Amino acid sequence: MTKKAFRGLFLCAIVGALLFRFVRLDVRPMHHDEANQAVKFGDLLERGEYRFDPLDHHGPTLYYLTLPAARAAGERALAGLGEATLRAVPALFGAGLLLLFLLFSGGLAKEATLAAAALAAVSPALTYYSRFYIQETLLVFFLAALLGSGWRYAKRRSLGWALVAGVSAGLMAATKETSLILFAGLAAAFGLLSLVESLRTRHRGVVTAGEAWVWRDTRTKLPTLFHFALFLGAAVATVALFYTSFFQNPHGLADSVRAIGASFARAGHPGVHAHPWNYYFQILAYSRTAGGPVWSEAFLLFLAAAGGIAALGHDAGRDGSPRFLRFILFFTVVTAAAYSLIPYKTPWNMLPFYLGLVILAGNGAALLLRISRFKLVKILVLAVLVPGFADLALQSYRASFERPADPANPYVYAQTSPDFLRLVEAVERTAAAAPEKKDLLIKVVAPPEETWPLPWYLRTFGRVGYWTSPGAALAFTGAGEPAVVIASAAFAEEVGAALGEGYDQAFYGLRPEVPLCLFTKRGP
Amino acid sequence: MTKRFGWIAIAAFGLAALAPASGAQDAGKEILKIALPKPMFVGTPKNIRTPNLETITGKPRGPFMVPVGTALLSLGKPVASSDKEPVIGETAFVTDGKKSGEDGYYVELGPMLQWVQVDVGKSHELQAIVAWHYHSQARVYRDVVVQVSDDKDFISGVTTVFNNDHDNTAGLGAGRDKEYIETFDGKLFDPKGVKARYVRLYSGGNTSNDMNHYVEVEVYGLSAK
Repeated sequence: MTKKAFRGLFLCAIVGALLFRFVRLDVRPMHHDEANQAVKFGDLLERGEYRFDPLDHHGPTLYYLTLPAARAAGERALAGLGEATLRAVPALFGAGLLLLFLLFSGGLAKEATLAAAALAAVSPALTYYSRFYIQETLLVFFLAALLGSGWRYAKRRSLGWALVAGVSAGLMAATKETSLILFAGLAAAFGLLSLVESLRTRHRGVVTAGEAWVWRDTRTKLPTLFHFALFLGAAVATVALFYTSFFQNPHGLADSVRAIGASFARAGHPGVHAHPWNYYFQILAYSRTAGGPVWSEAFLLFLAAAGGIAALGHDAGRDGSPRFLRFILFFTVVTAAAYSLIPYKTPWNMLPFYLGLVILAGNGAALLLRISRFKLVKILVLAVLVPGFADLALQSYRASFERPADPANPYVYAQTSPDFLRLVEAVERTAAAAPEKKDLLIKVVAPPEETWPLPWYLRTFGRVGYWTSPGAALAFTGAGEPAVVIASAAFAEEVGAALGEGYDQAFYGLRPEVPLCLFTKRGP
Repeated sequence: MTKRFGWIAIAAFGLAALAPASGAQDAGKEILKIALPKPMFVGTPKNIRTPNLETITGKPRGPFMVPVGTALLSLGKPVASSDKEPVIGETAFVTDGKKSGEDGYYVELGPMLQWVQVDVGKSHELQAIVAWHYHSQARVYRDVVVQVSDDKDFISGVTTVFNNDHDNTAGLGAGRDKEYIETFDGKLFDPKGVKARYVRLYSGGNTSNDMNHYVEVEVYGLSAK
């Protein structure tokens, strides 16, 4: 492949990724988790306050990296922020991920890099969660940065790449405490690679040249002690910077260590998020509900399997490295196994090992293209690959634009129903007709899991109170008679009886199975 | 006449003079700002994709008393619908006596306001109408209106048995009945013995999607003599 062709096609992949990630970012109602993050970010935006919470919310990078986006949009308060501004942050990192694939050059053949970038651009999973205001896409981006800079370092052993790798690792840790699993996965992959290569060295007589391992024309080097110390220093400094809220909260660093314990506790007691070991692969392989379309990334899984098997051989393409591919293979297998064995599962948690699948699938696609020298065979392979890529793109479109909140969509998880937006509209209408306008009193009476994303959608209202039981809410009379009461279905009867006949009552869907009851005071 | 205008003018001046005085009285005051409780942060809620038959609220429906001789009139009776081509299932499902919440037992009509109409054959004294829209998931159907009539086109002699369309979205008049969550025991409407041959049930989407569903409708009454 010529450089020009590579550049042109890679640019097409980038443009595709940008379109899939940035168009109509507000098409889906805010998810419970997104609203949580957004309101938390509001404190940082409005008051410059951020304190790491070791029990929830993961790491601080998402909030700090949203600051430039909010400021670029000219917003200084949560009330002025829109979903699109917030979601633009993961979208940007989701599209930027493709550029990081360029760091794999020398490890991944040009054709494989291109195929991996195209797969990442149209991947339903990567696209859907790149449009989701949570930490996962950032974590995947920093993981790819660590893999890429680590590979560059292994090739050149330069101080700069050691520092970049350290900062990337630090950013991973500052994004999600579960990055510990990924660090363990990277270490395990390195161990497995060393083991496999030492066996091969004995059997096949591949020699080492000085400090370098030699594998065909690919030389990779182990880090020097000084560089390793620099890597660690950069990682720790990055972690310290973010978790201490840029030295405003010194306890944050200790809290980040405590958070690891909380995460492990959650992993062991998954509650409503307990899913079988094959949950992630089931989502990717095949999903269909009555009357709905088929969802499947089996094409990507097939290519990843082909690319993974090929990684165990010698052929990595003219400019690829079996060592790099094996490392990715081992990392993917180990982390996929770890995530699958942990009972606590949410679909976005699969993204880190999904990145490995995408890289391997890129290698698989390139392998199929070079399997024969005959042009006719290549055309036939392309005839299979192109519809496969197109099918993924179509599924991506369906997942992110056509059915972004449909429970039949396998990437949808505890998503807010579009019907909920009707509740918000009804509250807006009531406020528009009320003399107090947006300062009318709103009482929300619902358990916390049935409260979100109300705080996000009610962010422009002046007087909103949240109670978790009807008794406390109804006993609170200091602010006057509420114009609007939003109650969970379980409290609707009690709240309705207490409010009396002066209120209209209507139900709206928060999520499947979770209706909320809206009481609006009738006009005089 | 002139005298009356004079009094009006005096009253108007008086009010005008009072207005700034009221403002002056409020000048030393301000609205009491009471801090309201903030929302509690909590992790990802439960994801629900599989059906269940659990009720969210409410107690089991108590016994409903009907005159001796009341019988089920609707079983296997013809059903008409506003949606001539249902999205899923057939209108015959509405009176086939099968009330399972699973797929394959309900008819799905299109979005917006839709109706199904049961013809019980002759005019009967109706004692109870029970409807199951869709009970494998806790959801609420909007603008539920139940009407009965001897006129199959529901133009004359229409009696409204139930109406929870409080803002008259359906255009059948605003109702004051409450919305309710679908459960496996269905919703019972009391026609109070009104005589009718046709029973029509309207709905306008639900809290989970815009479609309209019917698993079963049962019409009970006294056999016509």
